[in-house]
Amino acid sequence: MTLDWSVVWQHRDALAAGTATTFLLTVATMAIAVPCGLLVAALRLYGPAPVRALATAYVELFRNLPLILVVYWAYYVLPILTGLGLPALATGLAALSLNVTAYNSETFRAGINSIRRGQVEAAMALGMSRAQALRRIVAPQALRRITPVLASTWVSLFKDTSLVSVIAVAELAYVSMQIRAQSFRVLEMLTAMAAIYWLLGYPQAKLVDWIQRRYAVTE
Amino acid sequence: MKDSERSKAPGATIIRYIDVVKRYGDFTALSGVSLDVHAGEVVCLIGPSGSGKSTLLRCTNGLETIDGGDIEFEGARLARDERGLRAMRQRMGMVFQSFELFPHLTAEQNVAEGPRTVQRTGIAEARRRAMRMLDKVGLADKAANFPSALSGGQQQRVAIARALAMEPDVMLFDEPTSALDPETIGEVLGVMKTLADEGMTMVVVTHEMSFARRVGDWVAVFDAGRIVEEGPPAQIFDRPATVRTRDFLSHLGWNG
Repeated sequence: MTLDWSVVWQHRDALAAGTATTFLLTVATMAIAVPCGLLVAALRLYGPAPVRALATAYVELFRNLPLILVVYWAYYVLPILTGLGLPALATGLAALSLNVTAYNSETFRAGINSIRRGQVEAAMALGMSRAQALRRIVAPQALRRITPVLASTWVSLFKDTSLVSVIAVAELAYVSMQIRAQSFRVLEMLTAMAAIYWLLGYPQAKLVDWIQRRYAVTE
Repeated sequence: MKDSERSKAPGATIIRYIDVVKRYGDFTALSGVSLDVHAGEVVCLIGPSGSGKSTLLRCTNGLETIDGGDIEFEGARLARDERGLRAMRQRMGMVFQSFELFPHLTAEQNVAEGPRTVQRTGIAEARRRAMRMLDKVGLADKAANFPSALSGGQQQRVAIARALAMEPDVMLFDEPTSALDPETIGEVLGVMKTLADEGMTMVVVTHEMSFARRVGDWVAVFDAGRIVEEGPPAQIFDRPATVRTRDFLSHLGWNG
Protein backbone atom coordinates (compact mmCIF):
# COMPACT_ATOMS: atom_id res chain seq x y z
CA MET A 1 0.00 0.00 0.00
CA THR A 2 1.43 3.37 -0.99
CA LEU A 3 0.65 6.53 0.83
CA ASP A 4 0.32 9.82 -0.95
CA TRP A 5 0.53 12.72 1.50
CA SER A 6 0.31 15.35 -1.22
CA VAL A 7 -3.47 15.19 -0.90
CA VAL A 8 -3.21 16.97 2.44
CA TRP A 9 -1.19 19.85 1.01
CA GLN A 10 -3.47 20.10 -2.03
CA HIS A 11 -6.47 20.69 0.20
CA ARG A 12 -4.70 22.96 2.68
CA ASP A 13 -7.09 25.88 2.08
CA ALA A 14 -10.16 23.76 2.75
CA LEU A 15 -8.56 22.25 5.85
CA ALA A 16 -7.59 25.72 7.10
CA ALA A 17 -11.13 26.94 6.57
CA GLY A 18 -12.48 23.88 8.41
CA THR A 19 -10.09 24.50 11.30
CA ALA A 20 -11.22 28.11 11.47
CA THR A 21 -14.85 26.97 11.66
CA THR A 22 -13.96 24.55 14.46
CA PHE A 23 -12.42 27.40 16.44
CA LEU A 24 -15.36 29.67 15.66
CA LEU A 25 -17.81 27.00 16.90
CA THR A 26 -15.81 26.51 20.12
CA VAL A 27 -15.55 30.23 20.87
CA ALA A 28 -19.17 31.01 19.94
CA THR A 29 -20.52 28.07 21.96
CA MET A 30 -18.60 29.16 25.06
CA ALA A 31 -19.60 32.78 24.51
CA ILE A 32 -23.23 31.62 24.69
CA ALA A 33 -22.87 28.83 27.27
CA VAL A 34 -21.03 30.82 29.96
CA PRO A 35 -23.62 33.57 30.51
CA CYS A 36 -26.52 31.17 29.88
CA GLY A 37 -25.00 28.62 32.26
CA LEU A 38 -24.67 31.33 34.90
CA LEU A 39 -28.31 32.28 34.38
CA VAL A 40 -29.51 28.66 34.66
CA ALA A 41 -27.40 28.13 37.79
CA ALA A 42 -28.85 31.30 39.34
CA LEU A 43 -32.39 30.15 38.51
CA ARG A 44 -31.71 26.76 40.12
CA LEU A 45 -30.18 28.30 43.25
CA TYR A 46 -32.35 31.34 43.82
CA GLY A 47 -35.44 31.03 41.60
CA PRO A 48 -38.98 30.31 42.83
CA ALA A 49 -39.85 26.59 43.05
CA PRO A 50 -41.44 26.14 39.59
CA VAL A 51 -38.57 27.97 37.86
CA ARG A 52 -36.08 25.87 39.82
CA ALA A 53 -37.81 22.68 38.73
CA LEU A 54 -37.84 23.79 35.09
CA ALA A 55 -34.15 24.69 35.15
CA THR A 56 -33.31 21.36 36.81
CA ALA A 57 -35.30 19.47 34.19
CA TYR A 58 -33.43 21.27 31.40
CA VAL A 59 -30.02 20.50 32.93
CA GLU A 60 -30.77 16.85 33.62
CA LEU A 61 -32.21 16.37 30.13
CA PHE A 62 -29.32 17.82 28.15
CA ARG A 63 -26.59 16.54 30.45
CA ASN A 64 -27.76 12.98 29.99
CA LEU A 65 -28.45 12.87 26.24
CA PRO A 66 -25.67 11.92 23.81
CA LEU A 67 -24.53 15.10 22.11
CA ILE A 68 -24.88 13.57 18.66
CA LEU A 69 -28.56 12.93 19.38
CA VAL A 70 -29.01 16.57 20.34
CA VAL A 71 -27.32 17.59 17.09
CA TYR A 72 -29.71 15.47 15.00
CA TRP A 73 -32.63 16.62 17.11
CA ALA A 74 -31.73 20.26 16.53
CA TYR A 75 -31.39 19.61 12.81
CA TYR A 76 -34.84 18.05 12.41
CA VAL A 77 -36.86 19.67 15.20
CA LEU A 78 -35.59 23.27 15.40
CA PRO A 79 -36.94 24.23 11.94
CA ILE A 80 -40.37 22.85 12.92
CA LEU A 81 -40.32 24.61 16.30
CA THR A 82 -39.12 27.97 15.00
CA GLY A 83 -40.56 27.84 11.52
CA LEU A 84 -37.16 28.99 10.24
CA GLY A 85 -34.82 27.20 7.90
CA LEU A 86 -31.70 27.68 9.99
CA PRO A 87 -28.30 27.30 8.35
CA ALA A 88 -26.37 24.19 9.42
CA LEU A 89 -23.77 26.25 11.32
CA ALA A 90 -26.45 27.95 13.45
CA THR A 91 -28.15 24.61 14.08
CA GLY A 92 -24.87 23.04 15.19
CA LEU A 93 -24.13 26.04 17.39
CA ALA A 94 -27.57 25.73 19.00
CA ALA A 95 -27.06 22.02 19.75
CA LEU A 96 -23.61 22.55 21.23
CA SER A 97 -24.82 25.51 23.28
CA LEU A 98 -27.75 23.59 24.73
CA ASN A 99 -25.37 20.84 25.84
CA VAL A 100 -22.53 22.99 27.20
CA THR A 101 -24.92 25.42 28.93
CA ALA A 102 -26.24 22.47 30.94
CA TYR A 103 -22.71 21.44 31.91
CA ASN A 104 -21.60 24.99 32.72
CA SER A 105 -24.64 25.63 34.91
CA GLU A 106 -23.67 22.60 36.99
CA THR A 107 -20.13 23.90 37.23
CA PHE A 108 -21.30 27.34 38.39
CA ARG A 109 -23.75 25.83 40.85
CA ALA A 110 -21.13 23.54 42.35
CA GLY A 111 -18.68 26.46 42.57
CA ILE A 112 -21.15 28.66 44.44
CA ASN A 113 -22.16 25.80 46.75
CA SER A 114 -18.52 25.03 47.53
CA ILE A 115 -18.04 28.35 49.31
CA ARG A 116 -18.75 27.65 52.95
CA ARG A 117 -21.66 29.27 54.74
CA GLY A 118 -19.43 31.15 57.15
CA GLN A 119 -18.20 33.37 54.32
CA VAL A 120 -21.73 34.61 53.59
CA GLU A 121 -22.36 35.03 57.32
CA ALA A 122 -19.18 37.09 57.70
CA ALA A 123 -20.29 39.29 54.80
CA MET A 124 -23.79 39.67 56.20
CA ALA A 125 -22.42 40.41 59.69
CA LEU A 126 -20.74 43.44 58.10
CA GLY A 127 -24.17 44.56 56.92
CA MET A 128 -24.00 43.35 53.32
CA SER A 129 -27.16 42.28 51.51
CA ARG A 130 -27.33 38.76 50.09
CA ALA A 131 -26.72 40.15 46.62
CA GLN A 132 -23.64 42.08 47.79
CA ALA A 133 -22.30 38.99 49.56
CA LEU A 134 -22.77 36.96 46.38
CA ARG A 135 -21.12 39.57 44.15
CA ARG A 136 -18.24 40.65 46.38
CA ILE A 137 -17.44 37.52 48.38
CA VAL A 138 -18.92 34.32 46.92
CA ALA A 139 -18.64 34.88 43.15
CA PRO A 140 -14.94 35.86 43.06
CA GLN A 141 -13.98 32.81 45.13
CA ALA A 142 -16.26 30.48 43.17
CA LEU A 143 -14.86 31.76 39.87
CA ARG A 144 -11.33 30.90 40.93
CA ARG A 145 -12.39 27.41 41.86
CA ILE A 146 -14.26 26.67 38.66
CA THR A 147 -11.80 28.23 36.19
CA PRO A 148 -9.99 24.89 35.77
CA VAL A 149 -13.30 23.10 35.21
CA LEU A 150 -14.39 25.63 32.60
CA ALA A 151 -11.02 25.25 30.92
CA SER A 152 -11.32 21.49 30.62
CA THR A 153 -14.89 21.88 29.35
CA TRP A 154 -13.36 24.11 26.69
CA VAL A 155 -10.87 21.42 25.63
CA SER A 156 -13.63 18.78 25.46
CA LEU A 157 -15.81 21.14 23.48
CA PHE A 158 -13.01 21.80 20.99
CA LYS A 159 -13.05 18.10 20.07
CA ASP A 160 -16.82 17.62 20.42
CA THR A 161 -17.49 20.24 17.75
CA SER A 162 -16.60 17.41 15.32
CA LEU A 163 -20.02 15.89 16.05
CA VAL A 164 -21.82 18.62 14.11
CA SER A 165 -20.19 17.19 10.97
CA VAL A 166 -23.19 14.83 10.82
CA ILE A 167 -25.39 17.75 9.78
CA ALA A 168 -22.85 19.00 7.22
CA VAL A 169 -21.36 21.91 9.13
CA ALA A 170 -18.09 22.56 7.31
CA GLU A 171 -15.77 22.29 10.28
CA LEU A 172 -12.51 20.37 10.38
CA ALA A 173 -13.96 16.84 10.69
CA TYR A 174 -16.55 17.37 7.97
CA VAL A 175 -14.03 18.91 5.58
CA SER A 176 -11.56 16.06 6.16
CA MET A 177 -14.22 13.44 5.57
CA GLN A 178 -15.30 15.17 2.37
CA ILE A 179 -11.75 15.20 1.03
CA ARG A 180 -11.38 11.56 2.01
CA ALA A 181 -14.55 10.63 0.15
CA GLN A 182 -13.46 12.47 -3.00
CA SER A 183 -9.80 11.38 -3.04
CA PHE A 184 -10.15 7.89 -1.52
CA ARG A 185 -7.06 8.79 0.52
CA VAL A 186 -8.58 7.42 3.73
CA LEU A 187 -5.49 6.84 5.87
CA GLU A 188 -3.81 10.06 4.84
CA MET A 189 -6.84 12.21 5.60
CA LEU A 190 -7.69 10.53 8.90
CA THR A 191 -4.07 10.89 9.98
CA ALA A 192 -3.96 14.53 8.91
CA MET A 193 -7.19 15.23 10.76
CA ALA A 194 -5.86 13.51 13.89
CA ALA A 195 -2.62 15.48 13.63
CA ILE A 196 -4.42 18.82 13.34
CA TYR A 197 -6.80 18.12 16.27
CA TRP A 198 -3.93 16.89 18.42
CA LEU A 199 -1.52 19.71 17.58
CA LEU A 200 -4.20 22.29 18.35
CA GLY A 201 -5.70 20.45 21.31
CA TYR A 202 -2.50 19.53 23.14
CA PRO A 203 -1.35 23.11 23.87
CA GLN A 204 -4.86 23.93 25.09
CA ALA A 205 -4.75 20.94 27.45
CA LYS A 206 -1.34 22.07 28.70
CA LEU A 207 -2.78 25.54 29.23
CA VAL A 208 -5.55 23.97 31.32
CA ASP A 209 -2.94 22.20 33.47
CA TRP A 210 -1.20 25.52 33.98
CA ILE A 211 -4.47 27.26 34.90
CA GLN A 212 -5.22 24.49 37.40
CA ARG A 213 -1.90 25.06 39.11
CA ARG A 214 -2.13 28.84 38.89
CA TYR A 215 -5.60 29.07 40.41
CA ALA A 216 -5.25 26.36 43.04
CA VAL A 217 -7.11 27.79 46.03
CA THR A 218 -5.07 28.22 49.16
CA GLU A 219 -6.88 28.89 52.39
CA MET B 1 -28.30 40.34 90.23
CA LYS B 2 -28.76 44.03 90.69
CA ASP B 3 -26.98 46.58 88.56
CA SER B 4 -25.42 48.01 91.70
CA GLU B 5 -23.33 44.87 92.03
CA ARG B 6 -21.73 45.36 88.64
CA SER B 7 -18.07 46.30 88.67
CA LYS B 8 -18.41 49.45 86.59
CA ALA B 9 -21.02 52.12 86.89
CA PRO B 10 -23.34 50.76 84.22
CA GLY B 11 -24.06 52.84 81.16
CA ALA B 12 -27.26 52.68 79.20
CA THR B 13 -28.54 49.24 78.29
CA ILE B 14 -27.26 48.48 74.78
CA ILE B 15 -28.52 44.94 74.33
CA ARG B 16 -31.45 43.48 76.21
CA TYR B 17 -32.38 39.82 75.81
CA ILE B 18 -35.92 39.19 77.00
CA ASP B 19 -36.93 35.57 77.50
CA VAL B 20 -35.30 34.53 74.21
CA VAL B 21 -36.33 31.12 72.83
CA LYS B 22 -34.64 29.37 69.93
CA ARG B 23 -35.52 25.91 68.60
CA TYR B 24 -33.96 23.72 65.93
CA GLY B 25 -36.71 21.24 65.12
CA ASP B 26 -37.35 19.33 68.33
CA PHE B 27 -34.20 20.64 69.99
CA THR B 28 -34.56 23.72 72.17
CA ALA B 29 -31.26 25.61 72.02
CA LEU B 30 -32.43 28.56 74.15
CA SER B 31 -35.33 28.20 76.54
CA GLY B 32 -36.01 31.66 77.86
CA VAL B 33 -32.80 33.62 78.22
CA SER B 34 -32.86 37.12 79.70
CA LEU B 35 -29.73 39.26 80.01
CA ASP B 36 -28.75 42.93 79.88
CA VAL B 37 -25.59 44.30 78.31
CA HIS B 38 -24.68 47.86 79.26
CA ALA B 39 -22.53 50.38 77.42
CA GLY B 40 -18.83 49.90 78.04
CA GLU B 41 -19.29 46.51 79.62
CA VAL B 42 -17.55 43.23 78.78
CA VAL B 43 -20.08 40.43 79.24
CA CYS B 44 -18.66 36.91 79.01
CA LEU B 45 -20.89 33.96 78.19
CA ILE B 46 -19.46 30.71 79.52
CA GLY B 47 -20.73 27.17 79.85
CA PRO B 48 -20.37 23.73 78.31
CA SER B 49 -20.49 23.18 74.53
CA GLY B 50 -24.04 23.12 73.20
CA SER B 51 -25.41 25.11 76.11
CA GLY B 52 -26.69 27.88 73.85
CA LYS B 53 -24.18 30.68 74.36
CA SER B 54 -23.08 30.85 70.70
CA THR B 55 -26.68 30.58 69.58
CA LEU B 56 -27.60 33.62 71.69
CA LEU B 57 -24.71 35.57 70.13
CA ARG B 58 -25.82 34.61 66.62
CA CYS B 59 -29.37 35.71 67.40
CA THR B 60 -28.04 39.11 68.48
CA ASN B 61 -27.25 40.23 64.93
CA GLY B 62 -29.96 38.16 63.30
CA LEU B 63 -27.76 35.42 61.79
CA GLU B 64 -30.32 33.19 63.53
CA THR B 65 -33.96 34.14 63.99
CA ILE B 66 -35.57 33.71 67.38
CA ASP B 67 -38.72 31.69 68.03
CA GLY B 68 -39.84 33.49 71.15
CA GLY B 69 -39.09 36.44 73.42
CA ASP B 70 -37.37 39.58 72.17
CA ILE B 71 -34.01 41.19 71.65
CA GLU B 72 -33.63 44.94 71.95
CA PHE B 73 -30.62 46.74 70.54
CA GLU B 74 -29.98 50.37 71.50
CA GLY B 75 -33.56 50.72 72.67
CA ALA B 76 -35.22 49.31 69.55
CA ARG B 77 -36.56 45.86 68.87
CA LEU B 78 -34.22 43.83 66.67
CA ALA B 79 -35.40 44.30 63.09
CA ARG B 80 -37.10 41.35 61.42
CA ASP B 81 -36.77 42.69 57.88
CA GLU B 82 -33.57 42.50 55.84
CA ARG B 83 -33.10 46.25 55.47
CA GLY B 84 -33.55 47.01 59.15
CA LEU B 85 -31.35 44.09 60.12
CA ARG B 86 -28.57 45.30 57.82
CA ALA B 87 -28.64 48.73 59.44
CA MET B 88 -28.35 47.17 62.91
CA ARG B 89 -25.57 44.77 61.87
CA GLN B 90 -23.44 47.73 60.85
CA ARG B 91 -23.42 48.81 64.50
CA MET B 92 -22.52 45.30 65.75
CA GLY B 93 -19.13 43.90 64.84
CA MET B 94 -18.81 40.13 64.86
CA VAL B 95 -15.76 37.90 65.21
CA PHE B 96 -16.10 34.20 64.35
CA GLN B 97 -14.40 31.13 65.78
CA SER B 98 -13.10 30.18 62.32
CA PHE B 99 -12.07 33.79 61.43
CA GLU B 100 -13.92 33.74 58.08
CA LEU B 101 -11.53 36.17 56.46
CA PHE B 102 -12.17 36.52 52.73
CA PRO B 103 -9.39 34.37 51.21
CA HIS B 104 -9.38 36.19 47.85
CA LEU B 105 -8.63 39.56 49.46
CA THR B 106 -5.51 40.84 51.19
CA ALA B 107 -5.57 41.74 54.88
CA GLU B 108 -6.08 45.40 54.00
CA GLN B 109 -8.83 44.63 51.48
CA ASN B 110 -10.56 42.41 54.03
CA VAL B 111 -10.69 45.28 56.50
CA ALA B 112 -11.64 47.86 53.86
CA GLU B 113 -14.45 45.70 52.42
CA GLY B 114 -17.13 46.70 54.95
CA PRO B 115 -16.61 50.47 54.79
CA ARG B 116 -16.24 50.28 51.02
CA THR B 117 -19.18 48.06 50.07
CA VAL B 118 -21.62 48.66 52.92
CA GLN B 119 -20.91 52.20 54.10
CA ARG B 120 -19.78 53.39 50.66
CA THR B 121 -17.03 55.55 52.12
CA GLY B 122 -15.07 55.56 48.87
CA ILE B 123 -11.92 53.55 48.34
CA ALA B 124 -9.46 56.10 49.74
CA GLU B 125 -11.29 56.46 53.06
CA ALA B 126 -11.86 52.69 53.30
CA ARG B 127 -8.11 52.09 52.85
CA ARG B 128 -7.21 54.75 55.42
CA ARG B 129 -9.56 53.17 57.90
CA ALA B 130 -8.22 49.68 57.10
CA MET B 131 -4.63 50.77 57.74
CA ARG B 132 -5.63 52.46 61.00
CA MET B 133 -7.39 49.31 62.22
CA LEU B 134 -4.58 46.99 61.13
CA ASP B 135 -2.19 49.25 63.01
CA LYS B 136 -4.42 49.01 66.05
CA VAL B 137 -4.21 45.18 66.05
CA GLY B 138 -0.47 45.34 65.38
CA LEU B 139 -0.55 44.07 61.80
CA ALA B 140 0.08 47.15 59.65
CA ASP B 141 3.12 45.38 58.19
CA LYS B 142 0.93 42.49 57.00
CA ALA B 143 -1.53 44.68 55.05
CA ALA B 144 -0.56 43.21 51.67
CA ASN B 145 -0.64 39.58 52.84
CA PHE B 146 -3.39 37.21 51.88
CA PRO B 147 -5.01 35.33 54.80
CA SER B 148 -3.33 32.08 53.71
CA ALA B 149 0.03 33.69 54.48
CA LEU B 150 -0.96 34.64 58.04
CA SER B 151 -0.93 32.58 61.23
CA GLY B 152 -4.21 31.78 62.95
CA GLY B 153 -3.65 34.46 65.56
CA GLN B 154 -2.85 37.02 62.88
CA GLN B 155 -5.93 36.04 60.88
CA GLN B 156 -8.14 36.51 63.91
CA ARG B 157 -6.59 39.93 64.61
CA VAL B 158 -7.33 40.93 61.00
CA ALA B 159 -10.89 39.67 61.54
CA ILE B 160 -11.15 41.91 64.62
CA ALA B 161 -9.83 44.84 62.58
CA ARG B 162 -12.39 44.06 59.86
CA ALA B 163 -15.23 44.27 62.39
CA LEU B 164 -13.81 47.44 63.98
CA ALA B 165 -13.54 49.18 60.61
CA MET B 166 -17.32 49.53 60.59
CA GLU B 167 -16.96 51.61 63.79
CA PRO B 168 -19.52 49.50 65.66
CA ASP B 169 -21.08 50.27 69.04
CA VAL B 170 -20.81 46.63 70.18
CA MET B 171 -18.43 43.79 69.40
CA LEU B 172 -19.67 40.19 69.44
CA PHE B 173 -16.99 37.50 69.84
CA ASP B 174 -17.94 33.89 69.14
CA GLU B 175 -15.24 31.71 70.73
CA PRO B 176 -12.52 33.84 69.12
CA THR B 177 -9.61 31.72 70.37
CA SER B 178 -11.07 28.20 70.17
CA ALA B 179 -9.54 27.47 66.75
CA LEU B 180 -6.11 28.85 67.63
CA ASP B 181 -2.81 27.24 68.55
CA PRO B 182 -2.07 27.80 72.22
CA GLU B 183 0.88 30.08 71.47
CA THR B 184 -1.21 32.53 69.43
CA ILE B 185 -4.19 32.75 71.82
CA GLY B 186 -2.43 35.39 73.90
CA GLU B 187 -2.02 37.89 71.06
CA VAL B 188 -5.76 37.77 70.27
CA LEU B 189 -6.80 38.07 73.92
CA GLY B 190 -4.34 40.97 74.21
CA VAL B 191 -6.09 42.86 71.41
CA MET B 192 -9.46 42.16 73.04
CA LYS B 193 -8.19 43.40 76.41
CA THR B 194 -7.04 46.65 74.76
CA LEU B 195 -10.47 47.10 73.22
CA ALA B 196 -12.12 46.49 76.59
CA ASP B 197 -9.82 49.03 78.25
CA GLU B 198 -10.82 51.58 75.62
CA GLY B 199 -14.43 51.14 76.70
CA MET B 200 -15.79 48.99 73.85
CA THR B 201 -18.98 47.15 74.72
CA MET B 202 -18.30 43.47 74.19
CA VAL B 203 -20.21 40.20 74.38
CA VAL B 204 -17.72 37.35 74.44
CA VAL B 205 -18.50 33.65 74.17
CA THR B 206 -15.37 32.03 75.51
CA HIS B 207 -13.73 29.04 77.12
CA GLU B 208 -10.85 31.22 78.34
CA MET B 209 -11.76 31.45 82.00
CA SER B 210 -8.78 33.60 82.91
CA PHE B 211 -9.88 36.14 80.29
CA ALA B 212 -13.44 36.13 81.63
CA ARG B 213 -12.05 36.56 85.11
CA ARG B 214 -9.55 39.33 84.34
CA VAL B 215 -11.35 41.30 81.64
CA GLY B 216 -15.03 40.49 82.11
CA ASP B 217 -17.29 42.87 83.99
CA TRP B 218 -20.14 40.41 84.06
CA VAL B 219 -20.27 36.67 83.50
CA ALA B 220 -23.30 34.58 82.52
CA VAL B 221 -23.10 30.81 82.95
CA PHE B 222 -25.10 28.78 80.42
CA ASP B 223 -26.37 25.27 80.80
CA ALA B 224 -28.88 23.45 78.58
CA GLY B 225 -30.23 26.62 76.97
CA ARG B 226 -30.57 28.65 80.15
CA ILE B 227 -28.53 31.08 82.19
CA VAL B 228 -28.03 29.22 85.46
CA GLU B 229 -26.08 31.99 87.14
CA GLU B 230 -24.82 35.48 86.36
CA GLY B 231 -22.77 37.94 88.25
CA PRO B 232 -19.42 39.71 88.50
CA PRO B 233 -16.42 37.44 87.83
CA ALA B 234 -15.36 37.42 91.47
CA GLN B 235 -18.65 35.85 92.43
CA ILE B 236 -18.81 33.34 89.58
CA PHE B 237 -15.28 32.12 89.95
CA ASP B 238 -14.74 32.40 93.71
CA ARG B 239 -18.18 31.94 95.21
CA PRO B 240 -20.33 30.18 92.59
CA ALA B 241 -23.87 30.02 93.88
CA THR B 242 -25.09 27.02 91.88
CA VAL B 243 -24.00 23.40 91.59
CA ARG B 244 -24.06 23.73 87.80
CA THR B 245 -21.49 26.53 87.84
CA ARG B 246 -19.28 24.68 90.32
CA ASP B 247 -19.47 21.49 88.23
CA PHE B 248 -18.64 23.34 85.03
CA LEU B 249 -15.68 25.16 86.54
CA SER B 250 -14.29 22.05 88.24
CA HIS B 251 -14.50 20.17 84.90
CA LEU B 252 -12.23 22.84 83.48
CA GLY B 253 -9.84 22.38 86.38
CA TRP B 254 -10.65 25.84 87.67
CA ASN B 255 -9.87 26.13 91.34
CA GLY B 256 -10.21 29.82 92.01
